[in-house]
Amino acid sequence: MINFLQILLEGTLVGLVYGLIAISFVVIYRASRIVNLAQGEVVVFGAFFLWSCTFGLQSIGIEVPLFVSVMMTLVACVLFGLLLERLVFRPLIGQPAFAIFMASVALLILLRGVAQLVWTAETRAFPVILPDGAFTIGPFLISTRLLIGGIFTIVLSFALHYFFTRTRQGLRLAAVAEDHNTALSLGVSVRAATAIAWILGTIVATLGAVVLLSGRVVSLEVAQIGFKALPVALLGGLESIRGAPLAGIIIGVSEALAMAYLDPLTNGAASGVLPYAMMIGVILLQPQGLFGWKKIERL
Amino acid sequence: MLPTGVHFESYGGEARLLKTMRSRVWLGGLLIALFCVPLVAGPYFLGVMTYMYISLMAVYGLYVTVGMAGQINIAQSAFVGVGALMTAKLSEFGVPFWAAIPLAALATGMVSIVFALPAARVKGFYLALTTLAAQIMFPTIIFALPSDWLGGLVGMSVTGATIGSFSLSSPVDFYLLTLVIVLGLSVVAFNLRRTRFGRALIAVRDNDVVAEVMGMNVLKIKALAFFTGSLFAGVAGGCTAYFFQFVTVESFTLFASVWYLGMLIVGGTHSALGAILGVVFITFIQEGLHEVATIAMQSGSSSSGGAIFALTSIVLGGLILLALIFEPRGLAHRWSVLQTTFQLWPFPRN
Repeated sequence: MINFLQILLEGTLVGLVYGLIAISFVVIYRASRIVNLAQGEVVVFGAFFLWSCTFGLQSIGIEVPLFVSVMMTLVACVLFGLLLERLVFRPLIGQPAFAIFMASVALLILLRGVAQLVWTAETRAFPVILPDGAFTIGPFLISTRLLIGGIFTIVLSFALHYFFTRTRQGLRLAAVAEDHNTALSLGVSVRAATAIAWILGTIVATLGAVVLLSGRVVSLEVAQIGFKALPVALLGGLESIRGAPLAGIIIGVSEALAMAYLDPLTNGAASGVLPYAMMIGVILLQPQGLFGWKKIERL
Repeated sequence: MLPTGVHFESYGGEARLLKTMRSRVWLGGLLIALFCVPLVAGPYFLGVMTYMYISLMAVYGLYVTVGMAGQINIAQSAFVGVGALMTAKLSEFGVPFWAAIPLAALATGMVSIVFALPAARVKGFYLALTTLAAQIMFPTIIFALPSDWLGGLVGMSVTGATIGSFSLSSPVDFYLLTLVIVLGLSVVAFNLRRTRFGRALIAVRDNDVVAEVMGMNVLKIKALAFFTGSLFAGVAGGCTAYFFQFVTVESFTLFASVWYLGMLIVGGTHSALGAILGVVFITFIQEGLHEVATIAMQSGSSSSGGAIFALTSIVLGGLILLALIFEPRGLAHRWSVLQTTFQLWPFPRN
């Protein structure tokens, strides 16, 4: 029983990390209607920005306090978002969804190539930003890093939800997410929305990288997390920021349970396949996810 | 457009793919040239060409699914992998290659239908996500299956292809074999848009609501679009299996799928000619980069294999983006513009 509860607990905490990455995915969709398959690469970029601003600078002999490095990382995220908006997505405004989707697929390999060229494929140590280690409550062992990350995910999701539903700027972004042409005709700048979407998305992805990697190692393989976040975002609903942590918990817990009880029977495949099987299930049964916008199509 | 003086006396003449004598002569010349390549080329170049033909088979499949029916498929490489594994398995049972490849293609088509079924409920990128799920689940499932089923982590070796007592083993044999297969598939791909099924695919792409109102079974057509596209992928997989004589799951990655899609987009999604142009263009760019990298390495610069891979990724990603932004109709459209300009010269086009 204790073992079972411990699995639930760990699944929840890992699931909240998925939720955080899924939020970065949802934020981009919610503000610009771009399904970004390259989200994993964005996480990698965020992680490498932070690495460059801390250990990278250290290795060339410049010591900066952690606070300054974090600020520099934020600036890098903003520049990255602006660059993507200007070079890739601005020319594609008004193009069919197919073109925008394919652009994100192209970004997937373009960004991976750039990351490999700039930072090479070797693994590096990631700076310790969240306290490492674990503590026990009763019989349960809890990782401090994941707990802080989990609480942060929930707080962030409520803050972003407030931003998107209660503030003027957030509502503008929601209009863009609903329909580019309508938004444009109402005087909402799709360019600005796309830029904000990518800046926010990159920053949240970087935060996700911090929670995921703090005190561990970073390499190009981290991009895999982007595909883990996809089922989460879909289950929560692509437009729902508060749905992402909940969906993350559902996927995280079911993955942890599958890992504990089904993997020994299936040669280790169950936990790997389950999130995507759930994703196909969601698409079949309820395409808008748990809390997404239900689009009604009729003649 | 057609040169001056060409006219038709029947609808059949107008619907022909090669309308003028000149185009037939050019095509005949090209075919002869392709069959003569082994006389002048070395084994390395033949290998590149063979692999290019195999890619073209897979991209033809994408042309049917993505270009004609408008259903995004980012799992083509997984479907090629299914074809390759099936072929390997069949050859293990002693099935000759001319039977193994079609059977494997059929099996691949069946697998693809499973991932096309969500088309009943969703469309657009949601459907694309199910194919993405297929691509991601593919290696996990194969790894988990007992390794004497489909190779698992180790991979499977394939016994060489034989026709009667004649064994296809040299690069020249394989070059000719894949050339013949790819020519057959080209006939199918180019003629598909003139058939009832092809027109149905295009109708579904252009407006699936209208297609349904006109009495088409849209779900069936979408599923068939995936099925047909995967038949091509299965043939490509079968050829890959016999070409490398060894199949492992690791060669059928998401990246390969993106490469196939990239080739189609750069070439032009809406014509079979686009598939050819895209595959040839990207293959030659890839080989060019490879060549540059080899020279750079020989001259002692520090560039490693990783940098070459990174560079090819950047070039392909950049090319897809450039194509999407500046020429969504792809190289095929550029080619027809060039043709028209040539025919109208010295008068301005338009």
